[in-house]
Amino acid sequence: MLFRKMLRTAWNYKAQFISMIVMMTLGIGVFLGFNMEWKTIEYDTSRFFDDTNYADYRLYSETGFTKDDLEKILSINGVDAATRYLSVNLEIKGDSKKALALDVSENYTVSTFTLMSGAEYDEKGDGIWLSDKFAGLNGIALGDGLTLEFQGMEIKGEVAGLIKAGEHMICLADSNQVMPDFNTFGYAYISPAKLNAVLREKLINGIADEMREAGIPDEAAARQAEEALTDEMLEQAADKVFSQVNLRSGMEKAELEKAVKEKTGKTLMIVSKDDHVVYKEAMGEAKEGKAMGSILPVLFLAIAVLTMVTTMHRIATKEKTQIGVLKALGFKDGTILRHYSLYGLFIGAVGAALGSVLGYFVCKAVMSENGMMGTYFDMPDWTADTPAFCYPVIAGTVLLLALISFLSVRAQLKGTAADALRPYTPKKMKRSIFEKLRFFDKLNFATKWNFRDLMRHKSRFTMTLVGIVGCLILLVGGLGMRDTMAGFLDLLDNGVSHYATKVNIVENTDLEKASKLIADLDGDWESYSGVSLDGETATLDIVHNDKGRFSVIDKNNKNIDLRDDGVYLCLRLADKAKIGEYIEFSPYGGEETYRVKVVGYNRSIMTESITMTDTLADELGVGYGVSAIYTEKLSNEIPSSDIISGKQDKRQLMDSFSSFVQIMDGMVFILVIAAVILGIVVLYNLGVMSYVERSKELATLKVLGFKSRKIGRLLISQNIWLTVIGVVVGLPAGLGTLQWMISALASEYEMKLMLGPLTYTVSILLTFGVSLIVGWMVARKNKKIDMVEALKTSE
Amino acid sequence: MAIVEMKNVSRVYVTGDHEQRALDNVDLSIEKGKLVVVLGPSGAGKSTLLNILGGLDSPTDGTVKVDGYDISKLSNDELAEYRAEKVGFVFQSYNLIPTLTVFENVSLVKEISKKALDPVEMLDRVGLADHMKKFPSGLSGGEQQRVSIARALAKNPDILLCDEPTGALDSETGVVVLKVLLNMARSYGKTIIIVTHNQNIAKIADVVIRVKNGRIRSCETQDAPAAVEEVEW
Repeated sequence: MLFRKMLRTAWNYKAQFISMIVMMTLGIGVFLGFNMEWKTIEYDTSRFFDDTNYADYRLYSETGFTKDDLEKILSINGVDAATRYLSVNLEIKGDSKKALALDVSENYTVSTFTLMSGAEYDEKGDGIWLSDKFAGLNGIALGDGLTLEFQGMEIKGEVAGLIKAGEHMICLADSNQVMPDFNTFGYAYISPAKLNAVLREKLINGIADEMREAGIPDEAAARQAEEALTDEMLEQAADKVFSQVNLRSGMEKAELEKAVKEKTGKTLMIVSKDDHVVYKEAMGEAKEGKAMGSILPVLFLAIAVLTMVTTMHRIATKEKTQIGVLKALGFKDGTILRHYSLYGLFIGAVGAALGSVLGYFVCKAVMSENGMMGTYFDMPDWTADTPAFCYPVIAGTVLLLALISFLSVRAQLKGTAADALRPYTPKKMKRSIFEKLRFFDKLNFATKWNFRDLMRHKSRFTMTLVGIVGCLILLVGGLGMRDTMAGFLDLLDNGVSHYATKVNIVENTDLEKASKLIADLDGDWESYSGVSLDGETATLDIVHNDKGRFSVIDKNNKNIDLRDDGVYLCLRLADKAKIGEYIEFSPYGGEETYRVKVVGYNRSIMTESITMTDTLADELGVGYGVSAIYTEKLSNEIPSSDIISGKQDKRQLMDSFSSFVQIMDGMVFILVIAAVILGIVVLYNLGVMSYVERSKELATLKVLGFKSRKIGRLLISQNIWLTVIGVVVGLPAGLGTLQWMISALASEYEMKLMLGPLTYTVSILLTFGVSLIVGWMVARKNKKIDMVEALKTSE
Repeated sequence: MAIVEMKNVSRVYVTGDHEQRALDNVDLSIEKGKLVVVLGPSGAGKSTLLNILGGLDSPTDGTVKVDGYDISKLSNDELAEYRAEKVGFVFQSYNLIPTLTVFENVSLVKEISKKALDPVEMLDRVGLADHMKKFPSGLSGGEQQRVSIARALAKNPDILLCDEPTGALDSETGVVVLKVLLNMARSYGKTIIIVTHNQNIAKIADVVIRVKNGRIRSCETQDAPAAVEEVEW
């Protein structure tokens, strides 16, 4: 019987019940969705990394690793497996816009791949194992021939298998690229045997060329060159090519560094998987998901719970007489409490069930092959995993709602049955300090009425404000994120990059050869290499940008004319030293330490860097090689060269951001929809509550002769007031949240908040729009008010 | 001269299959400046009669003319104007706005009536000049009802409609309120219609109308009505 009563009461208060269920659904849905997202990222990527023997550490040497070096590293106690490794970017012959990362692992227990179709990996095989996504988007099938250009040589082979590799789960050409673009860049593996064959051919050709230059006829030169090639020569060439050792080990980095130095006698650049772009970005995404999972759901859940507190209190006061009737009939307090606690339990249970479904879809919208992360991660399995703590949180929230109902009704049950039967009496009005000021008496009736109403119902007032502020935070956060990203891309495109093509240079290229190419291309250049700064890895960026092909910018995005008497720290490293102070850094692979003055800070778009001019580098005696040349020539105008490891068209780079922008647009759309729903639900619920509470006053005004329109304006004017206050509070709160989101979600870039006037206008107008629409919906009810009925009840 | 004329007025409420005739073919004429008391038991139709006269409700059939205007066919906005200019209400439960002070409750009528009287003068006349800055919750029942009378008369209406104005008050306070009501209304030359089930109040009326089952059973004119001080219950 009481259950039937509950359902009928729910129907009577349907606006409140529905809005609380919607808020609960949104709260649980967003909470579960974002937490499932990061948990699934962790679970799916870790499983993929395990399946493909993702390396724990990568050791880099500019001079390469010999087999002897590898043996020494393998002899370290704690190193489980290691391989000499090559990963180099190559162009596909015949299409200068398409490139591949070509990988070779000598030991197929480290840094391997998952076969999706085709032949199993064969360490002596002649085939190419190609990224299935790249193959799919470029119309390449198993058995098709592929020719790659490698330092002036050609690597030819048939596609033996289509694969996915942990090392390239986030497939980026270099640190300038933010989003994978499998249309233009993929990856492939070849066997060590095939690499040997390529090196062998390269060496023979080299020897033959020398012989031809010495006057030996073609045929004889080729034959004699083959005979002249020794295993030792081949071994030395391979040693040079394998500039990387990948290993699996549970050792600490410092421990490994020490052991490597002891065994090999060299200080090598060691990058743990935590600093390797793929693992770092994947875990960064999980971390961002955690951050998102902690603030947005808290906002929604807090609003849901607060709305519940306000609404249940109002329902309980409205139900006071019924509570009295039940008590007078002989129902025990416990039974009545249980009955009304069921209201909260009912709302919580329905909201949690719907929220769980919503959460699953939110997670899938992000973490699935066709979802937002589908363009970022390239992995075979996409699941949906829930962190264990979510279950008690959801159960706790449902119980909390029941507890809120329990406490709201308990307050009405105090005293005798006769006390309970008396209608709820509102608190006595008192003049606030504000009202004692002289000008208050001069305010018009509507202002006084609305002011006093808000003062009398502070919790409703606060909740409405929270709803408006929450709505604005989501709008400013979402739209501002988009503006900031657009500004960042514009800065990258027009503020920093003034070149047409970035030409990547093969490591260890002779400076003289590089200088000739720089002159040919009429370009600027930079050199980047790893250095240790206070024990942390940073990039030393040596630049020569006299021609202005690229800019180094300050925190206000203005070009810096680099000085030659000191270095510039990027904003993320600004805490390392003040301007005028000195820093010390040591390049990896050497023993030297350099002490330089900091003369400024710069906004580094991608890397955490120390920037200096080549003049200063020469003065200090820092060794460097050219890493990249920036030229105004188009990529197809640049001839192939054995010192070019790849060419990157600026347009192509900017296009690679388009999928990133699409993800961003998706998120902005979700945030805007969430903001509008949040605004409408909270404001409508509280608006209806306010209307019900004031129905007697409104009826009185109507009886006195106030027209419905005038009363409607009175109601809407309160919404406008609250919206104005909400905007004043919400805009700075939104900007603060956005700043937090940028630092939490894009800490790898030094982004500056850039909000266009349109974002402010749209956010404010949308908030006012929501507020006015809801105000109008509530004010409309006023037309149907039954004056006679409303005035029958007494307070 | 008749200020109120009702002809064949019926008000039927339909709830599901059930039909209730709250007023059944009522004919009524009330002279200007008179004090009329409508008597009847609960459910007799007296409040419906008052609500129709006050423009809070519309008749199902018949015509209602107040000061020559037919109010039975007015739109919602026209009815609101009618309430603002022609009638003042005094209710049993006072119906003051709890968030407005005594002065503001009376001043409220200036928002809607072009011929509103001075609120301070009105409050002075009902003896509440010293309570103007208080909120209704700080007043006694009798004082609240006096504010309600001041508000009703501040609109300067032609007719004052009172629904059980002393229903929530004890005899002594009720008499004080009635006295204020009559003195004020008479000094401003208003027609007063009081709806009540209290037979004792009928003694002070110029005209007593008895209502039962939605019909007017009698309409008596009293040539020598009693003074308010003589009333007690």
